[in-house]
Amino acid sequence: MKAFTYSFQSVFRSIWHEKWINLLAILSVSIGLSIVTTFIMLTINMDSVIQRWAKNFGLVVYLKEQISGEEEASLKNRFSLDNDIMEVKYISRELALKELRTTLGADSMILEGLNENPLPSSYELTLKSDLLDPELVRKKAALYQQMTGVEDVQYGEKWLSSLYTISKTMKVGALVVGVAIYIAITFITYSTIKIFFYRRKDEIETLKLLGATRIFIRLPFLLEGLTIGLLGGIISSLAIFGIYSFTSLRLIEFLPSVRLFMASFPYQVYIIVPLAGAAVSVIGSYIAVGKIRY
Amino acid sequence: MIEFSNVTKFYENDVVLKDVTLTINKGELAFITGPSGAGKTTLLKLIYCDERPDKGQIVVAGWDIGKLKQKTIPFLRRNVGIVFQDFRLLANRTVFDNVALALRIHYMNTSKIREDVNAVLKEVKLGHKANTYPQHLSGGEQQRVVIARAMVSKPTVLLADEPTGNLDSDNSQIVMGLFREINARGTTVLIATHNHGLFHGTGRRVLLIKNHVIEEESIG
Repeated sequence: MKAFTYSFQSVFRSIWHEKWINLLAILSVSIGLSIVTTFIMLTINMDSVIQRWAKNFGLVVYLKEQISGEEEASLKNRFSLDNDIMEVKYISRELALKELRTTLGADSMILEGLNENPLPSSYELTLKSDLLDPELVRKKAALYQQMTGVEDVQYGEKWLSSLYTISKTMKVGALVVGVAIYIAITFITYSTIKIFFYRRKDEIETLKLLGATRIFIRLPFLLEGLTIGLLGGIISSLAIFGIYSFTSLRLIEFLPSVRLFMASFPYQVYIIVPLAGAAVSVIGSYIAVGKIRY
Repeated sequence: MIEFSNVTKFYENDVVLKDVTLTINKGELAFITGPSGAGKTTLLKLIYCDERPDKGQIVVAGWDIGKLKQKTIPFLRRNVGIVFQDFRLLANRTVFDNVALALRIHYMNTSKIREDVNAVLKEVKLGHKANTYPQHLSGGEQQRVVIARAMVSKPTVLLADEPTGNLDSDNSQIVMGLFREINARGTTVLIATHNHGLFHGTGRRVLLIKNHVIEEESIG
């Protein structure tokens, strides 16, 4: 505890004496962390859009015209037992025609000339939203296609594929940007602490001759790195919180429907991002101080 | 307290000390003298483990210098106070803080630090300069701050490398008086100097280093 007291005094003294370098480092860290948070925010919102759309995503299994009641029941049983399917809904030929009439509205008169109902009966299967991998859905559709009594299986293949690609690209992009920025933050604190270390070389030499231990010499630099990372993180979190709150309010004002798609921003991000920034700053400082030899 | 047994030290291929054997007893005040470049500073550096012997053995207050691990060196140095010719005071710290540094590394509590530092500053007659920065002090005052820093942690050994090299004769006498006081309390004191006036007539042991060996041992 006493080691921390001395080290904190040393950190405050250094922050005051080297205020411009420290300020520059803190601002650089906060800009970096803001970019990371923005990417995380965009990814979360994109995921929210996909999840919302996925709630209505389903496979439509069209049944053969000559399907027997026994075969229909067997299919329903198979679908109900499938753990990947959240909901099974049977649409009879009559109901399908009724829905078509409703959809066509005033144009439904075009159906008047039909002698018989051309629409097949079908099962609408809603998949669990976390299973919306295009490959998985394609395999499932192919499997159902092989089943007795099934005429055709349809789903929004292109849509699913596009959304999946966008979502994956966003996640990979966020990860790459995140890693690159955390490396940059490590480098920023490394350079800053290295400068301070060289400037205090005489002091360090004196401390070594007086009998100071490595931790006593190293601790102020690590705490200074921690302070840079933490302050940078707090500034970034406050800035992003302000910008996000302001923009979402303005956006909802002009486009109220946007509210449906906007994800509630997880508050943990405001804590985890600065803490991770502080952690990599300490790593940068540790590398900068290097091995202390007597 | 300090024992050199057949110690040899090279800097690259140049021999600095050759087969040196000496003993400084507990509670003794002794001088090392010799011309510039004779190896006086190296001898002191070997004692506080800033250098390691290439041959031979050095034992300081029970610590075998050749076998000391890096992480143990600070604990040896806490037993060895060092007074440098170039002072090595921190310009951005007050006199009080410079002296207190020697206690802060022991994680001593603030009130005890204040008490001990003020007491030692009074002893070196600098109590009134506690809040002054070193660059505002004279050479003699700066050297007294260095002595205060070296003695505040009550080391068993005190080493001084040309302690009066930058001082006039009045200040040299004051500094020597302080060393005698420290020694009177039981601290072993070893002073390296080329100034004969410093040990002449003291009745203390004087070791002359010449041509990298202890050439002569006499009483000053």
